[in-house]
Amino acid sequence: MSGLRRRTAPALSMAAALALVTAGCSGGDDSSGLPADQQGSGATAAEGDGVRLGILGQCEGPFGGFHEDVVAGTTLALTRFAGATPNSSTSALDGFSDAEAAGTPIELVGVGCGDDTADRVLQEVRLLVEQMGANVIIGPLSGDEGMAVAEYAKANPDITVFAGISGSQEQTLQVRAPNYFRFYGDGAIWNAGLGDLLYNEQGWRRVAVIADDYSFGHTSAAGFIADFCAVGGDVTHRVFPPLGTTDYSSYIAQLPNPDEVDGYFWAVGGTGTQSALEAFINSKGDVTGDQHAGNFFFNPDLAQALGSDIAGAHIGGFATLPGDVRTPEIEEYLAAADATWESIPGSLSGNEPAPPSTAAAFGFFYGYYTAGVALVEALEAVDGDISDVEAFQSAISGLTLDLPYGDISLDENRSGVVDVGLSRLAVDDSGEIVQETVAVVPGVDQSFGGTFSPETPSPGRDFPACDERDLPWEGQAVPVVDGVPQS
Amino acid sequence: MNPRMNPRHLLTRGNVLGAALIAVLLVLPQLATAFFVNFVMTQTLILGLAAATIVFLATYGGMTSLAQFLLFGVAGFMFGNAAQEAGSRGLNLGWSPWVAVAFALLVTLAAAFVLGAIASRTTGLYFLMLTMVYAVIGYFVFAQIVEISGPGGITSIQRPDLLGPPVRLYYAGVLLSVLAYLGFRAVGRTAFGLALQGVRDDPVRMASLGFNVRLHRTLAFTLAGFVAGLSGLLNVWWNGQIDPASIATGPTLILLIIAVIGGITSFAGAWLGAFVYVWVFTYLRDLPLIDNIGITEARFNTVIGVIVLVIMVLSPEGLTGIVKRLRHRVGARTPAMPGPASGGSPSVGKRTKELGGTRT
Repeated sequence: MSGLRRRTAPALSMAAALALVTAGCSGGDDSSGLPADQQGSGATAAEGDGVRLGILGQCEGPFGGFHEDVVAGTTLALTRFAGATPNSSTSALDGFSDAEAAGTPIELVGVGCGDDTADRVLQEVRLLVEQMGANVIIGPLSGDEGMAVAEYAKANPDITVFAGISGSQEQTLQVRAPNYFRFYGDGAIWNAGLGDLLYNEQGWRRVAVIADDYSFGHTSAAGFIADFCAVGGDVTHRVFPPLGTTDYSSYIAQLPNPDEVDGYFWAVGGTGTQSALEAFINSKGDVTGDQHAGNFFFNPDLAQALGSDIAGAHIGGFATLPGDVRTPEIEEYLAAADATWESIPGSLSGNEPAPPSTAAAFGFFYGYYTAGVALVEALEAVDGDISDVEAFQSAISGLTLDLPYGDISLDENRSGVVDVGLSRLAVDDSGEIVQETVAVVPGVDQSFGGTFSPETPSPGRDFPACDERDLPWEGQAVPVVDGVPQS
Repeated sequence: MNPRMNPRHLLTRGNVLGAALIAVLLVLPQLATAFFVNFVMTQTLILGLAAATIVFLATYGGMTSLAQFLLFGVAGFMFGNAAQEAGSRGLNLGWSPWVAVAFALLVTLAAAFVLGAIASRTTGLYFLMLTMVYAVIGYFVFAQIVEISGPGGITSIQRPDLLGPPVRLYYAGVLLSVLAYLGFRAVGRTAFGLALQGVRDDPVRMASLGFNVRLHRTLAFTLAGFVAGLSGLLNVWWNGQIDPASIATGPTLILLIIAVIGGITSFAGAWLGAFVYVWVFTYLRDLPLIDNIGITEARFNTVIGVIVLVIMVLSPEGLTGIVKRLRHRVGARTPAMPGPASGGSPSVGKRTKELGGTRT
């Protein structure tokens, strides 16, 4: 007994001392200054004259390599339209200064460091808002994070959140926080029009779907299934390997043979795409590109392992368009990125220094860019007055952004109504596999003609069912020939 | 008169410091910022409470468990399923919050009892491995069974109205932490606790004396599971959501690391370790010039790893062990009594023999 007492006494005294020291230190932070028990549950952002911006990225986890890209996306928007000056010419993570829109200064108070889990991103957003006093958040990056941050936004109406590139459907369709805005599509939207194209132009009637067994895989598959079934197609198999599977052979065995279906849709992400296709080749024979389609993880890099047989495969969109489409707006956007920094160590260049336009042409950078543009335009819409948060948020809801990869407006749940670019893998003149845009599907919203609504379940293994229905964009796809939309 | 009831006997330095610490914790919301109380300290109390269950099992039972975060999660998931009225995930039973609390704790107790009974034949490394297996299975159960969670987990979990303002959640954390601290220490002095320590030190001898070794281990695991469940409830009320990643192997190991930082044989060390962990996570990035030496928020796990390594080298008994040794060195005029007393922890030497195999 006395031994235990002797052991615990120093621990107790040390804990008390540490607690007091930190309590004293933290008194200087930007919380409102009231003691904790005099603040309500909404005790959050510090009141300042301008925008105190926090960016939520991921510096760890599967998307940790995109940390530089996403911060650069928002920085570019503020550099182009709010006069910001990056603090470094070789990295966006050093922040920016002198940003101002409609006379309102925009100060970067911090960059959150997520790891692809909802728990971590909640801690990061609380640090940004409750400790650093952010009143505007741009982010997060991935699906489950989006739901958590949307819920946080709902509980803290004084902050305003522009989602980064998080692709889950529920963050807007189910949570519907009035202060959470998404100026891009979701994982389902990015596959809109693909089913229509494959059914009507490639003659697919029966298809098997294989997707990662988590929210983004479900959502990607749901978009394809809703689209393909709406025009009359039939989904014969749905196979969902767990995320992180390395040996896909048992899941490939559950798929029908190539002569039993017209094609396969793959929403298996990351390194899983290649492993799954290799398992397919081992089990079902060679891949013939015409019989395969996938979400944006299906890309030209697969040819390195699978060879040119993959040519002919169709791919859904992901915020931007493949590099073969070059409009003056896109050229200007990419040139602006190159003028802002000498180089950026983005994910597409293996986190080695590379021209910033390399990162800017991909969806992760672009999603955060659209959020930055939305922030500036919203400030201009209210003449820089953000003291009336409701008016500020109402102005955001009414924005239509004129962006390099197509205009974006918001639906009633504040999720983007966007143009989706569909592409296919093709062999270019030098024998390389490249991504070639085949169509742009205009004005896609997340309801898919009523397939998804606040009352329906989240996309899952069994949802949505395969039902024929009218889609607003059916037959509306604009063909793209040699990188030029034929509208 | 029982000497323990003598007021002068209670007036020890440890008790006075403990009472002072509780007083500080009670008035802290008046002194500190909302962020420090509602984020740093509330999280410290939640993690400390969960880590204390590891300390309890290690100290009295000689069992180092990696299943505590699973039971923490079971309570959270069950509360979410029972209390949610609507939503796209989970059972959405729509029960009143306090019925949901009772349900969550009952399920956690049952799970802890069953898992404890299965693990009760093992000790040492085998117990550690088995509880690690529990944690992995638990992760996949919640990730795969979409009826109770699915990969996206349960979101929009509201806490009971009674705990509405965040500061009340902090006070709930203080109350449960104090109760758990005193309760765990008191258990060590009961017949059950003394028998459990006997089982820890020599299960064969205890069995030959007629004690049911497996039952003692099972009940200890169940009690620890119950307290971990309480901590899990605080966590879902604090966090508003829980998903399988919340109880994956990463967080599971972090809880063990917290216990190791504080000192795996010291109850107070559980909260001390949690405080250090949360402090490093929250404030390391704000230290001046720290990013000039490459330590950014992305290096948080590296820093925690280095802290654990240093502590393991300097003092296997964690920060409390370091503080204790410093105190002995500085204040040699008040020499310490050697050896653990009743309710104390086993010596390191005694615990090394727990690395044995399966025992009855």
